[in-house]
Amino acid sequence: MPNREPAISFHDLTLGYDRHPAVHHITGEVPRGELLAIVGPNGAGKSTLLKGIIGELAPLGGSLDLDGLKKSDIAYLPQQIEIDRLFPISVFDCVAMGLWREIGAWRGVDAKGNGEVARALARVGLQDLADRPVGALSGGQFQRVLFARLLLQDAAIILLDEPFRAVDNKTVDDLIALILTWHAEGRTVLAALHDIDQVRAHFPATLLLAREVVAWGETRKVLTPANFAKSRQLVEAFDEHAEVCERDESQRERQPA
Amino acid sequence: MIDAIIGPFIEFAFMRRALVGCLALSLGAPPIGVFLMLRRMSLMGDAMSHAILPGAAIGYLLAGLSLFAMSLGGFAAGLAVALAAGLVARSTILREDASLAAFYLVSLALGVLIVSVRGSNIDLLHVLFGTVLALDDAAIILLAAISTFSLAVLAAIYRPLVLECFDPQFLRSASALSSPTHLTFLVLVVLNLVAGFQALGTLMAVGIMLLPAIAARFWANDISGMIVVAVLIAFGASLSGLLLSYYANLPTGPAIVLLCGISYLLSILLGTRGGLVWSLLPRKHLEA
Amino acid sequence: MKIRVLVQIGLALLLLLGASGGAAAAEMLKAVASFSILGDMVRQVGGDRVDVVSLVKPDADAHVFSPTPADAKTLAGADLFFVNGLGFEGWMERLEKSSGFKGKTVVVSKGIKPLTMEEEEGHHHGEEADHDHDDHAKDEHDHDDHAKADHHDEHEVTDPHAWQDLANGKIYVTNIRDGLIAADPEGKAVYQANAAKYLDDLAKEEIAVKAAIDSLPEGRRKIITSHDAFVYFGAAYGLEIIAPEGVSTESEASAQDVAKIIRQIKEENILAVFLENVADHRLLDQIARETGAKIGGTLYSDALSGPDGPAPTYLDMFRHNIGVLTAALSS
Repeated sequence: MPNREPAISFHDLTLGYDRHPAVHHITGEVPRGELLAIVGPNGAGKSTLLKGIIGELAPLGGSLDLDGLKKSDIAYLPQQIEIDRLFPISVFDCVAMGLWREIGAWRGVDAKGNGEVARALARVGLQDLADRPVGALSGGQFQRVLFARLLLQDAAIILLDEPFRAVDNKTVDDLIALILTWHAEGRTVLAALHDIDQVRAHFPATLLLAREVVAWGETRKVLTPANFAKSRQLVEAFDEHAEVCERDESQRERQPA
Repeated sequence: MIDAIIGPFIEFAFMRRALVGCLALSLGAPPIGVFLMLRRMSLMGDAMSHAILPGAAIGYLLAGLSLFAMSLGGFAAGLAVALAAGLVARSTILREDASLAAFYLVSLALGVLIVSVRGSNIDLLHVLFGTVLALDDAAIILLAAISTFSLAVLAAIYRPLVLECFDPQFLRSASALSSPTHLTFLVLVVLNLVAGFQALGTLMAVGIMLLPAIAARFWANDISGMIVVAVLIAFGASLSGLLLSYYANLPTGPAIVLLCGISYLLSILLGTRGGLVWSLLPRKHLEA
Repeated sequence: MKIRVLVQIGLALLLLLGASGGAAAAEMLKAVASFSILGDMVRQVGGDRVDVVSLVKPDADAHVFSPTPADAKTLAGADLFFVNGLGFEGWMERLEKSSGFKGKTVVVSKGIKPLTMEEEEGHHHGEEADHDHDDHAKDEHDHDDHAKADHHDEHEVTDPHAWQDLANGKIYVTNIRDGLIAADPEGKAVYQANAAKYLDDLAKEEIAVKAAIDSLPEGRRKIITSHDAFVYFGAAYGLEIIAPEGVSTESEASAQDVAKIIRQIKEENILAVFLENVADHRLLDQIARETGAKIGGTLYSDALSGPDGPAPTYLDMFRHNIGVLTAALSS
């Protein structure tokens, strides 16, 4: 495989809350244009890692590099906890937020912008629901809305945190098709997923995470029973009486592709 | 009938002034109330009415019973509390309501302390809060200026403010405007409240800010619609409240706020969006 | 023999010294008065024998007073507690209980004939009072009937501001005197003398007040002020009081009240509105602006002024108020 430039580099990165690491000593690179699945047991730190990339969490140790890209070049789809579904906003206006990078806080959405929003809605199959309030949508429909917004963001790096949780199968298929389109367009896509079959079917690269890197590389080489067993062992609860971690940086490395 | 409605305003200058004052307040405060409600900060108004005490007390200590000094002090104190609460909520695990409660209680206690130590027994807050029937030119100009300023600033921060309420994470990732937007909004809240307290009393200032906004929730599905409905309700209640006070001899502030309250109750029942009456009636569903 | 005489004279002298010294060193009676006007009256009657503290200070509003622990402490150490009664001090019982006060409470208004007022909402003293007001000065007994005027549904409240009638003030003084004597019988002579002189002063002031009001032209004997603190004054001396705020500064005016006052001022050509030292005067300013009436000055109603102010004592209060009234109403 040709050596691509890295989009994201981790240098002995440790991320966590209140000094307890959720992921620690992560070192490695995500090449540009990679379609990477991040899997691992519950509590493995997948969400934490994505939050670290988008800058929601400051590193407890080590560092993270975006290799020339800015935070505004990243589009992030979190697990929707902070979104107020009852908020009185229409589907159209919600999607239109994706144009922020172009119009900022003050410029209006012009005809061109309107057209882009309409096209994005069409691509996710929601063109007829443009004026509905988002509160009236089902879980799957709302997920499509968020994907439409991602489309408009036109970002170089896209982070998806469990995008298919509690979403119907038809929607999953449609959205996966969208993800593959992004990959074809050369964007870097990282997706934290729980459905291993989906990963095997569509994602060429996988990072198996269990608070540290268990395995990272070509999907079929990573998703082995041995690796799964190892990951289950490594995931443990926060230790209230944990000592300060003294582990060396050189121990964990990305496996060769 | 028209005569009965317009008559009092033609005959009496104080009624005209009261109406103008209410109009100014009805334009500036309800839009802010809409956002307060959507951000679940509805109880902030009441907290603020207590939080301003130490500022008013210090103003009184320095300048005697000068309404200007006390209002300025009150504004400074209210701002300090609001901003401190906002900053703490954003940088620690505390939520907005807890941090606001903590700060306003501290502020109130401080205020009571200052007043007591000084030995005077004037009910400062009582003096500070006015009545809509007593608006002079200065008060009307102040209300109008603050209204205009509020609307202008609100229009400017509209988009980031909406995002802050709806999907704050998205705003954080898209720009650095998250904190400034929130803090600017808090400044607007305190400004409107303190101006309202001074001119109209706590009940009216907070009442006109929140009740119409809360009622409007049942009539509109988007924010701009809510704002329009809220402003209309506020103004309608002000007009009828003044007339009620005039014809039925009721104190003005409570009359206006009660009418806002009645419109709230009617909205719960009859509002086109989620009114209870509609959900109880059997209705055929739409095609799509 | 000589020595014995000397010793006898010496002892006698000692006894005399002891007695007079003892008398001089006798502890002052500790009295607490609920508000500044009472405080002044007690001081006048008590003289050097009594140490008086007022809870509601000069220029402070007793209607919104809230006692502090310091007040409780003050009361706890007192021998006498002088209160107005008639519902003026809503906080009185609570304070007595919480402070553990063991002395005697003297209600100084005992024996006066109280006037009743309608409660705030139904209230407007101006209109229906017209016909009755002349009878007032002559016959206080009928006032109860008068107060039950045309308004359905009013709620009667005793007007506590009885001290604004000097005749009542005299009764206050006798009650204060008797209370002091009961607590300190040794001072009886002093108290009686002080009280007698004070009563004399009050009588003289009464004559002066009556003369001043009588000197005003008939149509001018009406005033507008913020709350009904002067009903007793008006009833006693023939002045009509019109107020938007009812009996207490805590209430809020209705548009109807304000409208009526404005109409009345315009129709009857009332010249002046009077501010009070304990109320927010913005509403009165508004009324003055709209009617062209001028602000006649500040009247002292529920509280005295500070020692440097125009009304530091009860008598000064009357003198000041009369001065302000006549100046504004006779021009």
